[in-house]
Amino acid sequence: MRSNNNNRRDNNKPDGPKREAILDLSKYQDKQIRVKFIGGRQVIGTLKGFDQLMNLVLDDVKENLADPADDSKLLGKARSLGMVVVRGPSLLTVSPLDGSEIIDNPFAAEE
Amino acid sequence: MLPLYLLTAAKNQPMLVELKSGETLNGHLINCDSWMNLTLRDVIQSSAGGDQFLLIPECYVRGNHIKYLRLPDEIMDQVKEANIQNMEQRNFNRHNQGRNNRGNFRGNKRYNNQGGRNQNQSRGQGNQGGQGGNGGYNRGGFNNATQ
Repeated sequence: MRSNNNNRRDNNKPDGPKREAILDLSKYQDKQIRVKFIGGRQVIGTLKGFDQLMNLVLDDVKENLADPADDSKLLGKARSLGMVVVRGPSLLTVSPLDGSEIIDNPFAAEE
Repeated sequence: MLPLYLLTAAKNQPMLVELKSGETLNGHLINCDSWMNLTLRDVIQSSAGGDQFLLIPECYVRGNHIKYLRLPDEIMDQVKEANIQNMEQRNFNRHNQGRNNRGNFRGNKRYNNQGGRNQNQSRGQGNQGGQGGNGGYNRGGFNNATQ
């Protein structure tokens, strides 16, 4: 039986959005991940550590260089950055490198 | 209909996410949080120009940088249904709580015989009863036994 206020509050929001972490980074520990940053930079590195704020420690980092004239266009060149601490707030996307592949336009048939 | 509630209810549904940079992500929602950060699975990531496509098994996206999301049309109906169910469950719980705490005979009768609109009316009572704490619970049990 519920009697305290906290429980009643929870009861008001049966399945609202969560406040805790939604990505378990420990499964990417020592795996290669691709990280995109706000602003258009993109790196690939091995995840060595992370915290609640999603600050990351990456090792053997390679940055995929973008066209200086057009940030969104990658040139296919990379530079080596070594060990890097990535600040959580400037992350845009995080995805595993393992299992990702470049594919042909999957929407071409629909249009 | 709150945006984040809709999104929470859209778990496991396919969706399109466009980021501020113009990139789009097509995938199934695994989870989202109150900042609209998302995790997606089986994602097709399209570049802003629409010329490069990347298939990714799983992807985490900052809510901060989302421009918009496209969800399946059916989701509205599903959420409404889920909402009604939740509401009924909540009313039922509160009512039970009120009854136990107060041990009010009329309250009991109402609970047994009627539903719908009257349940809503008695919700106020339920709330008051909740504040009363546990003392009322024992009293209620006693009253019920004597009647």
